[in-house]
Amino acid sequence: MKKFVIIIIAGMLYMIPGRSQIINKEPLSIRQTGYKIDAKLDPLTKTVTGTMEAFWVNKSADIVPDIQLHLYMNAFRNKKTTMYKESAGLLNSKDQNSGWIDVKSFTDRNGSDFTRVMNFISPDDGNPFDQTVLKALLPKPALPGDTVFINMVFETRLPSITRRTGYSDDFYFVAQWFPKFGVYESAGMRYATKGAWNCHQFHANSEFFSNHSVYNVKITVPKEYVVGTGGMLIAESDSDAEGKNKTLTYRAEDIVDFAWTAWPGYAVFTDKWQHIKITLLLPKDRIEQVERQFTAVKHAMEYYAKYVGPYPWPYLTIVDPPAKGARAGGMEYTTLFTSSSSYLVPAFIHFPEMVTIHEFGHAYFMGILASNEFEEPWLDEGVNSFWEERIVDHYYGENSGLINHPFLKIADKSLGRLSYVHSEGRQDVTNNEYSWNYPHRTYGMMSYDKTATWLYTLMGIIGEETTNEVFREYYKKWAFKHPSGKDFVNVVNEVVTRIHGDKFGPDMNWFFNQTLYGNGLCDYKVTNIYNKKLETLKENLSDSDSINKNLLSMDRQYKSVVELERAGEVMLPVEVLVHFKNGDELLESWDGKSRFKDFSYTGNREIEWVKIDPEFKIRMDVNYINNSMTLNPDRVPLRRLTNKLISFMQFFINFISL
Amino acid sequence: MKIFISLETGILRSVKSWKGIVIVWLCSLLLVSLVAIPMKGALKSGLGNSMITEKLANGINVEVFADLGTAFRSLFSYFSTGLFMVLFVGFLINSFLSGGLFDSLKGISGTFSPVKFFIASAKNFWSFVIISLIISLAVILLAILIVVIPVSIVSHAESSSEGAALKTGIILTSFFLLILVLLLLVADYTRAWQVSHDKNECFKALGFGFSQTFRTFFSSYPLMLILLVVQLLYGWLVLIVLPGIKPVTEGGIVLLFILSQFLFFIKILLKVWRYGSVTKMMELHFERLNRGV
Ligand SMILES: [Zn+2]
Repeated sequence: MKKFVIIIIAGMLYMIPGRSQIINKEPLSIRQTGYKIDAKLDPLTKTVTGTMEAFWVNKSADIVPDIQLHLYMNAFRNKKTTMYKESAGLLNSKDQNSGWIDVKSFTDRNGSDFTRVMNFISPDDGNPFDQTVLKALLPKPALPGDTVFINMVFETRLPSITRRTGYSDDFYFVAQWFPKFGVYESAGMRYATKGAWNCHQFHANSEFFSNHSVYNVKITVPKEYVVGTGGMLIAESDSDAEGKNKTLTYRAEDIVDFAWTAWPGYAVFTDKWQHIKITLLLPKDRIEQVERQFTAVKHAMEYYAKYVGPYPWPYLTIVDPPAKGARAGGMEYTTLFTSSSSYLVPAFIHFPEMVTIHEFGHAYFMGILASNEFEEPWLDEGVNSFWEERIVDHYYGENSGLINHPFLKIADKSLGRLSYVHSEGRQDVTNNEYSWNYPHRTYGMMSYDKTATWLYTLMGIIGEETTNEVFREYYKKWAFKHPSGKDFVNVVNEVVTRIHGDKFGPDMNWFFNQTLYGNGLCDYKVTNIYNKKLETLKENLSDSDSINKNLLSMDRQYKSVVELERAGEVMLPVEVLVHFKNGDELLESWDGKSRFKDFSYTGNREIEWVKIDPEFKIRMDVNYINNSMTLNPDRVPLRRLTNKLISFMQFFINFISL
Repeated sequence: MKIFISLETGILRSVKSWKGIVIVWLCSLLLVSLVAIPMKGALKSGLGNSMITEKLANGINVEVFADLGTAFRSLFSYFSTGLFMVLFVGFLINSFLSGGLFDSLKGISGTFSPVKFFIASAKNFWSFVIISLIISLAVILLAILIVVIPVSIVSHAESSSEGAALKTGIILTSFFLLILVLLLLVADYTRAWQVSHDKNECFKALGFGFSQTFRTFFSSYPLMLILLVVQLLYGWLVLIVLPGIKPVTEGGIVLLFILSQFLFFIKILLKVWRYGSVTKMMELHFERLNRGV
């Protein structure tokens, strides 16, 4: 009964587009855009038809003459679109059916027709064949505070599943599927010097920049389909007399995109973390993966709540697509994300957990902290990868987060670092680049891995607790807004000087100039160690005198020197641990600026070994091997490896021979 | 009963041929050292006097190997070509030495003599190479036909569920393993027959191998199954024991070497036991035939 009343009330609220709250008591973001969509999936034609009422509020002080909308699905319309060109060779066009979105009608609330005043624009590359951005002139310009209401009828033909969206057989992942407003940036917002629409085309390597919005979405599908969305289900009913189809009504608040999936083969599981209800949709024969998925996402929720800020929605949906829809895996829509597990992944491989933790993290970096992924992908993917690596290694083993097998252990952070430091294109470009401008497939390595690696390096310098404080402050200041890279840097500067004073200088810009905005390499190396016996007066004494001999050995004097070199361009402060043969140790600090640096000691101690950055805090260092040197190398590990290699090959030959 | 007599005689004769096993063991050690020792040298020079070896304390560390840079790439290509070389030369050496082994396991063979061993190895070499080649190709071909092709068909069918491919794979692999037992029987009977005949007639030997396998199926098959299960269990034991041992001292390394080589020696012994048992089974069959005549 209570449920029924709630549904009625919710249904009534649904009538009023976006102005009142259902999920959270108070709005989390400014109500600037809202969508009410009535969509129907036709499995025969692989088409979603929809009617949409949407609004955009002019929150700026500008008089705005037009509106701009993303029509992402047109990226699949032909082989000349910007997305296609950018994915040359990566998209398998042979088995690719095209997709598109047609605007059937487009009017404002008073019925004036937009279709005659709209045109496609290509702000990023001027490509005349790209129809992913629609611009429409308003009948009269929007004054500050005005709300523009639009009504649309659209038809979206889904492509066979490819980048992020589409169908495969009877599996549907419906993303980037409806006309969505760009972001109007007024002067002072991010990098804007004057008010303008920020509405990029659909690129191969970029996803989001949107206002936080309210969504009321009705989805009609054949009855046997199981549906998952980024919204909260508030009503369900039969949509025709024969009972062939059902209509599901969803509500979502304060998210930047609304995606959904439908497939008859899903099994549905639920769990809870604190007050948050977690729903997991996955193929029926993957039931043994359920606990792993829930555990992973709960680890992430716990870690983020502790070190960044709360996850403010009472629900979360995880979709683990079947093998045929695997290309929809690993995507993020804040309150819904897709994971990527498969049947019988052994427990020592934490790849599915890693994907789940990564995609959940985007609820923060992109969802809550809605940066512009087109223009600053590092702020979204890179920051998120840093947290993913921290969480995966924290919960699944500092040295074995990704693979934990007696034969092989790999940490998540290791793969991230290696991808950057050993990439051929590691110096081709800086992190400060639009997502489609990364040359030669460097986008992933740069946006994800280089960023995560220098964030680890930053953490090595300023400390773990200060790093957490930086992100708490970043969340506090920028949640449900649109931070830019410079806003993030400002938060770092503010928090670091608040906690450490001028220990690192007046600000941390020296760090970001070299890492985020620079393309230099970091490589510190030990070039030499030596202990030179000094001539002393006593050495001239008679050797036959045993007392003198004793004195001599006690008072033997050495000049002991370590020679260090900065082989890369990047200058970072490093620690240097010097170990003497008598067991003494000295921890020196070096500002890392000069090309060469010697530490020399005079006394009766001889240096045995030296390590630059003994705790591997500077993870940007492209070569760890030259970071240390010893006069007494331990060959045991090498011999053991050789030994095992010999046994392995012997048993292997014996095994395969008859 | 025949099975137990064969097993017992098999183990007695293998122990009697221990010198032959030592020869096999030494050859394998020499062969793999040809690859492993230079690799160790390359790794050693790549690491120089670095203390990064501390990170190898728990086994392979991807960051250490990747940081070797170009040294790692050459190390890796050395490893892959080395492994290929070891496989190829190992195949020839095995064909050579198993001639001597089978010969020394015959009932009429007296005490083990290295000279006789090598003469038999040389005499049977080409026959054994062809027999090993044919049986190995048959194994590979059957694996492709029985397991690889059907599983890939199932896994590419859109309508089938994910588990289907795996389940089919498991069922077909089990089926393949049962057939593999037969092929090993054929290989052993063929070689046992060849060494008891003066002329190199590998195709005639193969013919005998096949017919003998099926003629004595009900005693031979369980015999081979027992032998293979023991080998499998032993292999599994080694896989559990060896990787877990991580000595940190020079002395520990020596002990590890002795232990691993001892374990491998036993592994060869188990295989020779198989050869001996099958040889005895063949002899029992002949004895019965002779008595019948
Ligand atoms: Zn991501």
